[in-house]
Amino acid sequence: MTQPNAPLPAGVMRPLAHADLARPDALAKLGGNPGYLSDRIAPGQLRGAILGSPHPHARIVSIDTAAARALPGVHAVVTHADIPGQADYGLRRVDRPALCRDRVRYVGDAVAAVAADSLEIAHAALDLIAVKYELLPAVTCPQTALRPEATAVHAGGNLLHQHRHRLGDDGAADAATVHRVSATYETPRQMHAFLETEGGVAEPDGQGGLCLYFANHNPERERQVVAALLDIPPERVHSVGSPVGGSYGGKDELTVQPIAALLAWKTQRSVRLHLGRAQSTDFGVKRHPMRIQMESGCDARGRLTCHRVQILADTGAYATHGPEVLDAALEHAPGPYAWQSIDIAGRLAYTNNGVAGAFRGFGAVQVQFALEQQMDRLAHAAHLDPADFRLRNLKPVDAPGPLGQIVVPFDGPQRALAALVRHPLWVSHPQRHWSDGPGGRYRHGIGLALVHRSDGFGKGFPFGCRMELALAEDGAIELRSGFTELGQNLLSAVRNTCVHFLHCGPDDVRPVLGDTRCTPDSGPVAASRATTLVWHALQRAAPQWRSQLLAATAQAFDVARENLRLGAGGVHGCAGLIASYAQLALHMGAQRPKITIDQPPEVTPSDAPDTHYVFGACAGVAHAVVDSWTGSIRITEMALVGAVGPVVSPMGYLGQLEGGALMGQALCTQESLDCVDGHYQQRNLDSYLIPTLADAPSMDVWAIEGLPEGDTAGPRGTGEISVNIATPACANAIACALQSPIESLPVRPATVFRLLEGVFA
Amino acid sequence: MNACIPLAVAENADTAPPAWSFVLNGQAVEVHCAPDQRLLSLLREHFLLVGAKPGCEVGRCGACMVWLDGQPANSCLLMAWQLEGRQVTTIESLSCTPQAAPVVAALAQSGGVQCGYCSAGMCMGLTYLHQQPGMDAPTASALMCGHLCRCTGYGGIQRAIDALFPAPDQRNSAGIS
Repeated sequence: MTQPNAPLPAGVMRPLAHADLARPDALAKLGGNPGYLSDRIAPGQLRGAILGSPHPHARIVSIDTAAARALPGVHAVVTHADIPGQADYGLRRVDRPALCRDRVRYVGDAVAAVAADSLEIAHAALDLIAVKYELLPAVTCPQTALRPEATAVHAGGNLLHQHRHRLGDDGAADAATVHRVSATYETPRQMHAFLETEGGVAEPDGQGGLCLYFANHNPERERQVVAALLDIPPERVHSVGSPVGGSYGGKDELTVQPIAALLAWKTQRSVRLHLGRAQSTDFGVKRHPMRIQMESGCDARGRLTCHRVQILADTGAYATHGPEVLDAALEHAPGPYAWQSIDIAGRLAYTNNGVAGAFRGFGAVQVQFALEQQMDRLAHAAHLDPADFRLRNLKPVDAPGPLGQIVVPFDGPQRALAALVRHPLWVSHPQRHWSDGPGGRYRHGIGLALVHRSDGFGKGFPFGCRMELALAEDGAIELRSGFTELGQNLLSAVRNTCVHFLHCGPDDVRPVLGDTRCTPDSGPVAASRATTLVWHALQRAAPQWRSQLLAATAQAFDVARENLRLGAGGVHGCAGLIASYAQLALHMGAQRPKITIDQPPEVTPSDAPDTHYVFGACAGVAHAVVDSWTGSIRITEMALVGAVGPVVSPMGYLGQLEGGALMGQALCTQESLDCVDGHYQQRNLDSYLIPTLADAPSMDVWAIEGLPEGDTAGPRGTGEISVNIATPACANAIACALQSPIESLPVRPATVFRLLEGVFA
Repeated sequence: MNACIPLAVAENADTAPPAWSFVLNGQAVEVHCAPDQRLLSLLREHFLLVGAKPGCEVGRCGACMVWLDGQPANSCLLMAWQLEGRQVTTIESLSCTPQAAPVVAALAQSGGVQCGYCSAGMCMGLTYLHQQPGMDAPTASALMCGHLCRCTGYGGIQRAIDALFPAPDQRNSAGIS
C-alpha cells in the first residue's frame, strides 16, 4: 500500500520523505543508560515498598506496625499518622490520601510503607504489618453507584462531576429527522502499560531539603505537593522529572512520590522505590471506561439534525483528572460536524474500582468511537458515501466550536478529509468490503473516520507557562522548560524550533528540561501543549535574542550591525563566522542573554467554561481483515492524514502518529483491563496483551501543514490525535468487514462470532 | 567491574550463600548469592549495570535481554545457578561494538527509539539476529515479537529491520548493511 513514489495531493507532505536528524537522546537510550530516574541505583540506598489494600472497600480499624518495625534491617514503617503536613492531594478535588487514614477505596490503595536495607527485608516487613479491616460494600458498577441507596465512596456522594450542554432547537431538529440511529456504546478500561513502572529515588539533600527523582509531567507541581505533605517550604524540595520511560498520561498525576518522600524524610536516608508490574497495575490510573448512549439523526438530504448524547464514566476511587476527562468527552461528542441541535450530558461516578485518570486521547477517544460509528450508520441509512456524508456536514471554517464556544478558525477537518479520500487505500477499494480465502473465510473492510481534537488546556485551567531562553556560560543555546521528555521527542522539537526561529545550528542547542533547580514553572507537559508552547515562546523571544547577540558582536568586533546575522555556530558577517556562540558567551559574561518568556493561562474570548479554543484534525482509513473461522481480527493497513499546522520535527510527527495509532487500534481490537469485584484480572504483560510487531499494520502517514490565512495559533500538538483517529477508523473498518455495527470495544472473537451469526441469521 | 554493591553478607559459614563464577562482559566475576537470585537483579543491583530493564519480570517484554553464551536470553528468567561457567554479555559492552553499530544506527535513524525503555533490549535482540547468516526481514520481524514497545507503534522498528535485512534484489542500493 505504501507507495513512496506516488504523487501526493497538493498541500500534503509525507514526513518519512523529509530529512530530520536522529533524536538527540537516541544513542544514550540504545546504550541502555540515558539516566532513567528509576535506574538511580547507588550504594547505601534504602529500598521502599508499599502495602496496598487487598479489599476494594473497607474501614481501617487498626494498623499495627510494631512487628514490622522490630524486624532487623527495617529503618522506617510509615502510615497516615506519620504525615506531618497535608495528607491528601488532588488536582481539582483534593480527595486522595497519600496513605489511607480510615478507609481504603480500591484494591491497592496504599495503607503503609516500609524503608529497609533490602527489598527482601522490606517485603518481609510488609507481611508483618497487621491491618484490621471492616469490610464495606464494594461499589463496582457506575450505574448503581449513582443510585440514592448506594454506599458512598466519598463523603460527598458518588457523583463526582456532571455537565449538560444544549444548543439549537431540539424540537425542530427532531421534526426534520428522517434517518435516526440510536445505540449504546461501551468502551473498556485501557492500561497505559508504560514499560518503566512507577519508581525513582527520594533523598535528603543534606541541607534540610529533599531531592525527588521520579518520572513525571510537572516537576513544579510534584514539589509543591510533596512540600505540603512534609509541611516544608516548596523551595526546599527539588524535583527532577526527566527522562520518562513511557507515560501516555499515566505519570501525569503523582504516583509513588509522596510515599517515597515520606520514607526518605523519616529516615533521612536515600530511598529507592520502584514498583513491580503487578503493583503498578493496581496502583496506576487507567483510561476511563464509558457507556455512551447516542441518538443522532439526519434529514432526507443527509444533513445532520439532532444529536443526543448521554455519557456515564467510571472514575474509580479518586478524582485525579476525571472531571476534565468527562469534560473532554462532552466537548468532543459533536465532533467537527454541524448539528441543528445538540443535547449532551455526562456523569462521572466514583466507584471502588481502580482509579481512572489521564490517558492519551483523554476522554475524547471514547466518544469519537461512538460518534464515528453513528456517522457511518447514518450515511448508510441515507445511502451516502461515508466521506461525502462527513464532508457535507462539516462546520464552516469560521463557525463556533463544538459547544458553541468561540474558537480559532480552522479548516483542518476539510483539508484532512479532502486529502484522505485521495489516498490509495481509500481509492483502490471502492467496494469497501469483500471476502476472500476458502469459502470466503476472510472478511475485509475499509473504514474511514474523521476527528478533531482540542489543543492545550483551554479555559478554566490555572496553568500558565514560563520558559527561559539563555546563552549558557559555555555558549550553548539553552531553552529551559519544566516539561519532561516522555519519549515524545520534545528534545527534537526544541532543537528544531530553535533552529527555525534563532537561525542557529542544531548542535548549538541544548534543551534543558524538567528540573526545578534549573528550569522555570512551565506547567505540565500534557494536553498536546508542549510543542505549541515552545513554538510560541521562541517566536516571541527571537527578536530580543537576535538584537542582544548582534549588538554584542557589533560592539566587540567593531562591525556594522546591518552586516551581521545569526547562523550556525555563531554570529556571521558578510565573509562568514565572526564570533562563535562560545566566544560571545565569554565576551558577554554576566550580560549573556537570559530571556524569560511568560505565556499566561489560555484566556479565550469565550465564556464557556471547560472548553477549548484551538483544535487540530486528523482523518484516517483502516483496512480490517476478520478471520471468520477463528474470530481474530487483523488491521493490516492504515493511512493517516493529520492537519495540525507546521510540522516541527518530521520524525517526531511520524513517531507520534504511528505510536498513538497502534495504541488506538489496540483499544479497538485487543485491550481491556477487566475489573471484577474491584480486582484487576490481568496484572502483567503476559495476560494484559499489548500489541507486538506482528499486530502493527503498515501505516502511511501524511501531514497537512497549511492553516487558514492569518492563523496565529501555530502548530497543534500531535501527541494524542493519532489515538483519537485510530480507534474509530479501526472500529469502522471492522464494522464494514462484518457488515454490522460495532457497539462495544474491544472487538474480540466472541463478539465477532455473535455478529457473524447475526449476519447469517 | 569498578562499582558494585555487596550482596547480603552471611552470618556464618553454614548459611553462607554459594559462589557462582561466570564471565560478565569479558571479565571473570564471582558472586555469592542464593541459587535462585535472578540475573536481572544481579546486573542492576549488584553490578550497577542498569541497561537491562525490569519491564515485566516474567519474560514477556524483552526489555532485560542479554546474551548468554552469545544467545539472546531474558535476564529476568535466568537464575544464578544457571550462570556457572557461562558468558554473559549486556548492552553496556555490546552497544559500542562494531557488531551493534549498524543496528544502533538503523534504530536511531528510523525512529525506532522514543521513550527508549525497550531500546537496549531491542538492540540486543536485533544485533543477534543481524549476526545470523541467511536471516531475512520477515523472519526477523517475527522473532522481534518478543520485544514489546509501547511508544513507536513499531513503525521505526520495522523500518530498521527492513534496512538491516534488505531483500536480495535491494541489497546493493540499501543505505545500511
